[in-house]
Amino acid sequence: MHSGGNASSLPLVGGAPEPTINQLSKPGRRASRFPKLDVPVTEINNPAIRNDKPSLPEVSEHDLVMHYSRLAHRNFAVDVGFYPLGSCTMKYNPRFADYVAGLNTFANSHPATPATFTQGNLEVLHELEKFLIEITGMDNATFQPPAGASGELTGLLIIKKYLEENGLSNKKDIIVPDSAHGTNPASAKMAGFNVVEVSTDIRGMVNIEDLRSLVNENTAGLMLTNPNTGGLFEENIMEISNIIHENGGLIYYDGANLNAIVGVCRPGDMGFDIVHSNLHKTFATPHGGGGPGSGPVAVKGFLKEYLPGPIVVKNSNGYDWYSPKSSIGRMHGYHGNFLVALRALVYMKLLGKEGLDTLGSYAVLNARYLSSVISKIIPLAYNEPCMHEFVATVKDLKKSHKIKAYDVGKALLDKGFHSPTIYFPLIIEEALMFEPTETQTVDTLDDLAETLKLIIEELQGEDVSLEEYPKNLPVGRPNELIPAKHLTVNWGDFELLELTE
Amino acid sequence: MFVPHSEIDLKKMFEELSISSLDDLFTHIPATLKLNDGLNVPPTLSELESISHFESVESKNTQNLICFAGGGHYDVYLPHTVKTLTMRPEFMTSYTPYQAEISQGILQILFEYQSLICDLTDMELANASLYDGATSVAEAISVAINKTKRNGVVVSNGFNPNTKEVVNTLVDRSKFDIKYVDLIDYMFPEDYIFTEEDAAFVVSLPHYEGSAQDLTTIVKNAKAVGVITICYIDPSMMGILKTPGSMGFDIVVAEGQSMGSPLSFGGPTVGWFATKKELARLVPGRIIGETRDSNHTKTYVMTLRAREQDIRREKASSNICTNQTLNAVGSTIHLSWLGPQGLYEIGYQAIQKASYMKQQLLDHDINISNPNNSLREFIVQTSKPAEDVIIEMGNKGFLAGIKYSDNEILVAVTEKRTKSEIDKYITSLQEVDNA
Ligand SMILES: Cc1ncc(COP(=O)(O)O)c(C=O)c1O
Repeated sequence: MHSGGNASSLPLVGGAPEPTINQLSKPGRRASRFPKLDVPVTEINNPAIRNDKPSLPEVSEHDLVMHYSRLAHRNFAVDVGFYPLGSCTMKYNPRFADYVAGLNTFANSHPATPATFTQGNLEVLHELEKFLIEITGMDNATFQPPAGASGELTGLLIIKKYLEENGLSNKKDIIVPDSAHGTNPASAKMAGFNVVEVSTDIRGMVNIEDLRSLVNENTAGLMLTNPNTGGLFEENIMEISNIIHENGGLIYYDGANLNAIVGVCRPGDMGFDIVHSNLHKTFATPHGGGGPGSGPVAVKGFLKEYLPGPIVVKNSNGYDWYSPKSSIGRMHGYHGNFLVALRALVYMKLLGKEGLDTLGSYAVLNARYLSSVISKIIPLAYNEPCMHEFVATVKDLKKSHKIKAYDVGKALLDKGFHSPTIYFPLIIEEALMFEPTETQTVDTLDDLAETLKLIIEELQGEDVSLEEYPKNLPVGRPNELIPAKHLTVNWGDFELLELTE
Repeated sequence: MFVPHSEIDLKKMFEELSISSLDDLFTHIPATLKLNDGLNVPPTLSELESISHFESVESKNTQNLICFAGGGHYDVYLPHTVKTLTMRPEFMTSYTPYQAEISQGILQILFEYQSLICDLTDMELANASLYDGATSVAEAISVAINKTKRNGVVVSNGFNPNTKEVVNTLVDRSKFDIKYVDLIDYMFPEDYIFTEEDAAFVVSLPHYEGSAQDLTTIVKNAKAVGVITICYIDPSMMGILKTPGSMGFDIVVAEGQSMGSPLSFGGPTVGWFATKKELARLVPGRIIGETRDSNHTKTYVMTLRAREQDIRREKASSNICTNQTLNAVGSTIHLSWLGPQGLYEIGYQAIQKASYMKQQLLDHDINISNPNNSLREFIVQTSKPAEDVIIEMGNKGFLAGIKYSDNEILVAVTEKRTKSEIDKYITSLQEVDNA
């Protein structure tokens, strides 16, 4: 089968390793040229000044361009093939947003430029805030958090300060599902809370009885994604939020899975007090090989004055910055990842009502369809209707044929697909989490399922050596033990120094 | 929009799922939660319509202000080669390189990034980026606290106030005592006495005010009582300043914007973080290592993963997950494009132009608070309120600098500024500020 999402035609193959830019360096070569100094030369005397030149590679511009272009060819991407990576929402990133983000003063304003001279930038943030609070059902937002994890920490610090100001400093427990993403407990710890884990029931949802038993006068709040990390909608969400609120806690929405519900329902209506959105997931900004993201935090009105400041407000003269009265303080040196926020606004404008009202529906349609076809090949972790993603498991294949989720992922790479997310959530054995997003065609979904079927048959073969997969890529399976024992983390490390600690 | 399905596709999918409408997908969601009339948002715009919308919003920003502001973010020339290579879709639209076999491009660039930063700062291990300069300072303090198990944090006052605010947000002040030490004559006091309660010493090179000093002795004194020393650098000055490693520092952090990222209204940029190997287990964020694959071919992978949140959860060294990789790619390509001579020239020309500007200001009877030990950045005194001067200078086409105090402006000069821009700045300042 040939579909748009299959990257197996890529000329990625080329066994030779690419040298580092340092290995391409030759004394005296250079790419950079600068204008001649147009002011008289003065002698500079400062004890912090060095006498020699810094240590950097010396390469021609053409060598530099060829090197980084070859490296580009060694990288899978959304623009190259299907990336069904669960929890990451690897949807198409509209090209048009690149154009807008490159416009002169959007790209080139200094962050300390006064509001008078940056009315356009402030309008972008204000307009995006309006979209976000409507989509999430909240009242006010900050754009400082540069990613989801920073949004979590922002939200938790808001909870902490709110409780302190209300004389409830005893409340130190943050409840997190055992299926939660690692950033949730890590953020709770950084904010100074105790992490309390609530279990998941056999249907794959928060275990309500367990939750009741964990909630008490020390409960500060709960962090939750909905749909949860198993891709299931928490049907008892109103009961969950009531349990927390009745005990004086707040509830935090981890927006990593927001794509499933845009236009369908809203965290604000489910009782969530604080919400972060991952603009780099739901709102189609490119992931950049691992970042930048943007994790704006939206709150209900009663928490507005706790937001990191300044936030944008609109008044009779236009837009201005406003410093919330009880702010937790800044989470970023300036205004967060502004150009990422701008790209998200471009996406929302292009979608508009028609696109946003149906966004969640189409994301769910694609996932539900894919889960239906894949369930005929390998079992799903839960027998429930999935939202925008779902988890399958190869635990039976592991027992019968020693085939692990890892092996299935590696074999898929060979066939031109990115691997699904593996081993997440941690509570599901040999998990493969698929998130197709709404931008893939049904042919690509069928192609993936068919390929998965072929792989699973192939891997069960008599004399298959699982370690050999992938076979068609520039490198095979890395030995992940070498770098952990001998830390080679820069090109000066020729001796593979043993780690001392 | 961007949903590819034709009527035929939908029919096929609905049949597979035995449903007749999209609504049928959500029968398990409580009816009271469902949005019946959809969202209250504006109608769809075509790309053509949104071009004029966004161009008109952009035009509401004052155009082409000549930038004399710094404070961590600098108007350094960003070559097209760097911009276009960084924005290659294979880099831009990929995720975190969990699958090493199909991510060697990003992994190798990040390995080069780590190596370049180590070479430039005289450190041994860099991570693959943090959010920005300010959050990197806070992360470095947290490493020092975890290493020493002490409660005191000594921070030089010579920092951008926003950076200090981020530190105050992220370091729990109910547990840790942050002491801000004033600069004396724009220098960190050489005789400052550190104690065995101090976990960290944090200082900026150059100071926020633009003055620079050799910090070797102070670092030695701090280390003598077991303090972890942290240096915040301006990367665009590293072609001309001594390295933090040569001064003895344990950790180097930076706001990396000037290397590879446009000013971007402050974000996305990149936080640099580099240190010595003995602190490896405490380093926040991702680290790329070199290894071999099954055929002994050189291969790059994410390494020392047992520090990270997805594995260690609440015991992780930091909560960071998504970082600023693409900006780190920008730093890598920009540094490689510059080479030793280019990075030197950025620093050298900035300092020469700043010296010229300082001399001209003094010749025109405009006072400078720190004329002598400042390099490319310095404080200009105003007779009118600094805020008003900045607005009036803006109306004349200059971003005059950053307000430093009621009557002081922090001015930065980069290699991009020309003699004629400097001369016009001074003429305008005289017109604006004649009290
Ligand atoms: C469920 C979940 N929560 C939180 C995060 C953290 O978000 P970020 O990577 O933007 O910090 C992620 C994504 O990686 C996630 O999948």
